[in-house]
Amino acid sequence: MDAWIDLARGPLLRISLTIMVLGLAYRLAVGLGHAITSWRRAGDPNVPVRDVVRATLGWMVPRRLLRSRPLYSLASLVFHLGVILLPLFLAGHLELVSRWVPGFWPVLPAAVADWITIVALAGLAVVLGGRLVVRQARSLTRVSDIAILILLLVLVGSGLLAAHPAWAPANARLLLLLHALAGNLVLVLMPLSKIAHCVLYPITQLLFQLGWHFPAETGRHVAIALGKEEEPV
Amino acid sequence: MTFECSYYLEPVDTTDLPRRFLDAFAAILQHSSYPMILEAASRVTSRCGRCTSTCPVFQASGDPRDIPCHRSELLLRIYRRYFTFSGTLKARLGVGHELDEAAINTLAEEVYRCTACRRCKLECPMGIDHGLITHLARWVLAEVGIVPKALVVATREQLEGKTHNTSAIPEAAMRDTCEFLEEDCADEHGLAITFPIDQQGAEYVFFPAVSDYLLEPDTLTGNAAVMTATGGSWTIGSRYFDGINYGLFYSDRMLDRIVSMEAEEVRRLGAKKILIGECGHASRSAKFFIRTFNGPDAPQVVNFMEYTYQAWRDGKLELKADVITERVTYHDPCNIARTGWIIEQPREVLRHICTDFVDMTPKGRENYCCGGGGGTVSIDEIRPFRTKVGGAAKAEQIRRTGATLLVAPCANCKKQLAEVCEDHGLDHVKVVGFHDLVLLAMVAPEFMRLDSAEAEPAEASTEAVEECAVTSSARTS
Repeated sequence: MDAWIDLARGPLLRISLTIMVLGLAYRLAVGLGHAITSWRRAGDPNVPVRDVVRATLGWMVPRRLLRSRPLYSLASLVFHLGVILLPLFLAGHLELVSRWVPGFWPVLPAAVADWITIVALAGLAVVLGGRLVVRQARSLTRVSDIAILILLLVLVGSGLLAAHPAWAPANARLLLLLHALAGNLVLVLMPLSKIAHCVLYPITQLLFQLGWHFPAETGRHVAIALGKEEEPV
Repeated sequence: MTFECSYYLEPVDTTDLPRRFLDAFAAILQHSSYPMILEAASRVTSRCGRCTSTCPVFQASGDPRDIPCHRSELLLRIYRRYFTFSGTLKARLGVGHELDEAAINTLAEEVYRCTACRRCKLECPMGIDHGLITHLARWVLAEVGIVPKALVVATREQLEGKTHNTSAIPEAAMRDTCEFLEEDCADEHGLAITFPIDQQGAEYVFFPAVSDYLLEPDTLTGNAAVMTATGGSWTIGSRYFDGINYGLFYSDRMLDRIVSMEAEEVRRLGAKKILIGECGHASRSAKFFIRTFNGPDAPQVVNFMEYTYQAWRDGKLELKADVITERVTYHDPCNIARTGWIIEQPREVLRHICTDFVDMTPKGRENYCCGGGGGTVSIDEIRPFRTKVGGAAKAEQIRRTGATLLVAPCANCKKQLAEVCEDHGLDHVKVVGFHDLVLLAMVAPEFMRLDSAEAEPAEASTEAVEECAVTSSARTS
């Protein structure tokens, strides 16, 4: 068992982290590349930057987020906080990458980390429940949406139980292995799934704003490509 | 199968339709920046359904087809399948779907249930602009001949017909209307106004929604009165005088051609700026796309309400306070309010000239669409859907204000709101233009007053407002 855990926390983790970093860097580079190309091709390159910045930052203010569907939004907020704070500031996680962590890096006190974990779990459960119960959300949901939420539940839940063997219904080492494997899977999936929004979020408002800044010649080129230059309306 | 939608279509050539659809989609993707937004939407969409809380169509219908995310997914699914590596790979492995005529028919039906109000974008944390994706879907459909007949017939007349406008108004009829309005204003208001036509070197060339010449005499009279009173340098172009641009609703190719016709008319007349009348989409299509298609030296675009507001603020236009005593509310046309362009200017004027101005909630950037946006107002055959579903939220907003005068500074919104009021038992509400009321409040300078009939605005207001109501009911008949 320990050998498997070491494998998951060692070589597998390094591979997963590499895939995540390179994959997310690729996603961000593609997004930025699209943005630059679109801006250079735009007939009118004057983008209302203030609006874009305001819209991007606006969603980082919880009050804005909680204005509609408050329960779902609150659950989403706390689970997002959990899955950001726990990997970055939990002592157990930092140990795994200690050689790259600077000395000033803050560490979450254990009790605070536990509460964040419990609240994040509750948030995940509500979001998953909302997906399955609320009619309009269910009609939009795909298998991958559910699978990612379940994977995150397993990841966070197994981590909590592995850290508190007294609460664990199963062997804590087994739970730790499950946690490590789930963690690796999430890292690999980050650039391959919608979790890529973790790096794309800062530029999505810009991309959709740029989307309205059409290249001047698009219509003419499309007409030529489709053989419609002389075709009446 | 028969290709059918709830709106009328010209005969659709269904021969090899999926392949032709994909060819059109490919051509558009190759020559535009749309791959950027489809790629971004595919990567970040979480389909959380948050947009359901803001879409007035879904709120009224409760139909999953009206969820903005769902509608976008119809196009994104085709994009991912045919234009991404993973989609091609899945198809090779035998797990990809094949585009068929039924899927195209579904897309064609659903993209015209959207009013393109873009309210959903406000509630998407990822900033996904479902309005833009719908806009693209409509263009791809248009390239295979799937466009509501009402839109394509009007655009054909505008671009290739004898009259070059969407209402097929001959130039002579436009001139007659202007003359009639000049005479009518003299008789009714005792004011001398002029509609200059083909004046070379004017500052502004005026492009109202051309339907105003048929349906909105009070708005046009108000426009001319403001220009006359302020000494504005303006003209109507006889070759091209229509601000309407249905290209915004179904084809970037048409959007380009129509905007460029406005720019061409301004150049022909040696003018400097484009002055758009009371019309939301006409204003947006000119303001936000004229530089796109005509370069950085394209004429500046001004909405008439901006002009009037500025003239009033600068003291060039005097408006009597508290002239309108009925309860008044204001509808924000999505195309000028969603970006924050024109929100407070008309309100400031209305608060000054009305004794009882009340706002709707929500308003401004977050306003509810009238329900006829995205060109749907022109599709008469879907009126029950437009008014009962699309206009339900707006009707409730209007009812809550208790207003009897509803100012809607947009030709499309006026028509739609008159029908919404009719279909929701709001018969006591009169839909009027912004300049209809400005005309009633205007303190005309001496040179405009005719000796035969000097009317005091305050005395004339009640009767004149009643006359506005006649226009309001004419829109729906």
